[in-house]
Amino acid sequence: MRGRPLRLYHYPGFGLVTLLCMVILYAPMLVVAIYSFNAIRSITVWGGFSLAWYLKAVGNPVIQAAALNSLTVALAAASTATVMATAAAIALVRGRALRERNLAFALINLPLMVPEIITAVATLVFFLAIGFRLGLGTVILAHIVFCIPFAYLPISARLEGIEPWYEEAARDLYATGWQAFRHVLLPLLFPGILAGFMLAFIISLDDFIITSFVAGPGATTLPLAIYGMVRTGFTPEINAVSTMMLGVSILFVTASWVIGRRGREGGGAKP
Amino acid sequence: MHAGFHRGVAALGLVGLLAIAGGRAEAAGELNIYNWFDYLPQELIDKFSKEYDVEVTLDTYDSNETLLARLKAGVTGYDIAVPGDYMVKILIEEGLLERSEPNRLPNFGNVDPAWIDVYWDPGRNYSIPYQWGTTSFMVDREVYEGDIDTLAILFDPPAALSGRINMLKDVNDVLNAGLRYLGFPRCNDDPEQLKALNDLLLGAKKHWLGFNSDGAKEVLVSGDAAAGMIWNGYGLRARLEKPSLEYAYPREGFTGWMDNIVVLKDAPNYDNALLFMNFMMEPENAAALSNFARYASGIEGVEPWLDPILAEAPELNPPADAPAPEFVPPCPPEVVRFYDRIWTNLLK
Repeated sequence: MRGRPLRLYHYPGFGLVTLLCMVILYAPMLVVAIYSFNAIRSITVWGGFSLAWYLKAVGNPVIQAAALNSLTVALAAASTATVMATAAAIALVRGRALRERNLAFALINLPLMVPEIITAVATLVFFLAIGFRLGLGTVILAHIVFCIPFAYLPISARLEGIEPWYEEAARDLYATGWQAFRHVLLPLLFPGILAGFMLAFIISLDDFIITSFVAGPGATTLPLAIYGMVRTGFTPEINAVSTMMLGVSILFVTASWVIGRRGREGGGAKP
Repeated sequence: MHAGFHRGVAALGLVGLLAIAGGRAEAAGELNIYNWFDYLPQELIDKFSKEYDVEVTLDTYDSNETLLARLKAGVTGYDIAVPGDYMVKILIEEGLLERSEPNRLPNFGNVDPAWIDVYWDPGRNYSIPYQWGTTSFMVDREVYEGDIDTLAILFDPPAALSGRINMLKDVNDVLNAGLRYLGFPRCNDDPEQLKALNDLLLGAKKHWLGFNSDGAKEVLVSGDAAAGMIWNGYGLRARLEKPSLEYAYPREGFTGWMDNIVVLKDAPNYDNALLFMNFMMEPENAAALSNFARYASGIEGVEPWLDPILAEAPELNPPADAPAPEFVPPCPPEVVRFYDRIWTNLLK
């Protein structure tokens, strides 16, 4: 045991390894973003600055429809998943120590453990077996399922940080169960709920494997469209769409993190 | 959903209706098209929607194999798809296509007779031409002025081109070119001939700049390569950027490919799918498709509407003395294994 906390960055070579990891992780994205501004139809030869590929991508009706589909799916799936995750978190964290609690926890988080391709195949086979017509609806249903754990984790983490005596105090002052939840717990929990929603939203927006399996007519999402674009040759149009998606992802993840942190700092300070 | 009898009557009735009304038949409803990305212009979708009061949904896939996998998994709801030549054959064998008999549609007479008795659908009972192209090579005429209509340009090049040749990074395109140069049959499993092919490729490798498919056009335009294998549609774009490039039609032969419109099994909007097929065989519409996708349509009489750049492009209009493009069916698995070994060894 050491007297002072272990600091990882005191190890020799730590900076170098960090730098290397950063470059490997982020340099490709940077290259994609840079070439989205290329003036010529190439992703390897630079031909000057231009926004032409962004205009082409935004004006392409297939991409427009795909973007609309992606937003619809992400909004519907993330909202539903967040409501279900909130209910689950309250039941599991606040509820009496059920014997089945561990089982329920494992069940909720199953989509995190099971390889995505297996979930995808199983979901498709299930939909076909019950005669469900594939379309945008099947995509939304499948997305809700794998969004739940992503929404659940920040919400339950936040909930565990809120001491139960706020609600108990409210109940002592003759608040009904609903009032205690609505006016005391929900406002305290809100940063966690928002963070969970945003995480679920972005996971849904980015999903490819499950979507590609369960999508039916009229349900092409942005990742599917980008994958389809690759066949006509790599053009900076792909880079432009990818860069815009990357921008939205970064925006949401940052917002989710900021909200989560602000919530933690102010956590429990006032009801 | 449709009984065979009902289907047959509907098709006959439709054909009659089309013939009488001259394409003014109304079939309100929907049509779900499954196509490659960026391969069908919005103006044609809008025109079809308006003409027949049909709401069109367009979804995209990335490869013939994806299409096959999705259909085999049981994904339904699509009416129309656009598979490549060999995939049409596979889909027919798998029973995934509707025998829609497009050869009885009024506009079928516009199909170039050369594209009717094709290996993947003899007589066209399942499919009609969509777009077709060839894979050959281009030479910079400022660098080399001699005869280019021979595969010797790739395998035994003149000194001016040696070391400046780009090959496609595609096992079939490269190996088939080598087999043609040696005069051996395609889908070859003869050990002696494969040995000769292997020696030819390894010997020719010293003349090659490299293997590059994604940048096949760029290396030619930039001048890094003075000759290079390329698809004809890309070749056209390359020549527009660098006029000294010329597309070769080697007398030993070259590869062709064709994408086709098919109606999928149990298409929910069968009648509209037939209307769409007939619509796409209208020369004016086929020309609009070619103007967008930059390949030839296989439909006759498109010239009045065709973009002059396409109408005159030597890449899309082979000279009369050029051999017919060869459509190579997929090879048996053991041949594929031989090919892969030669190819891996070549890339080392």
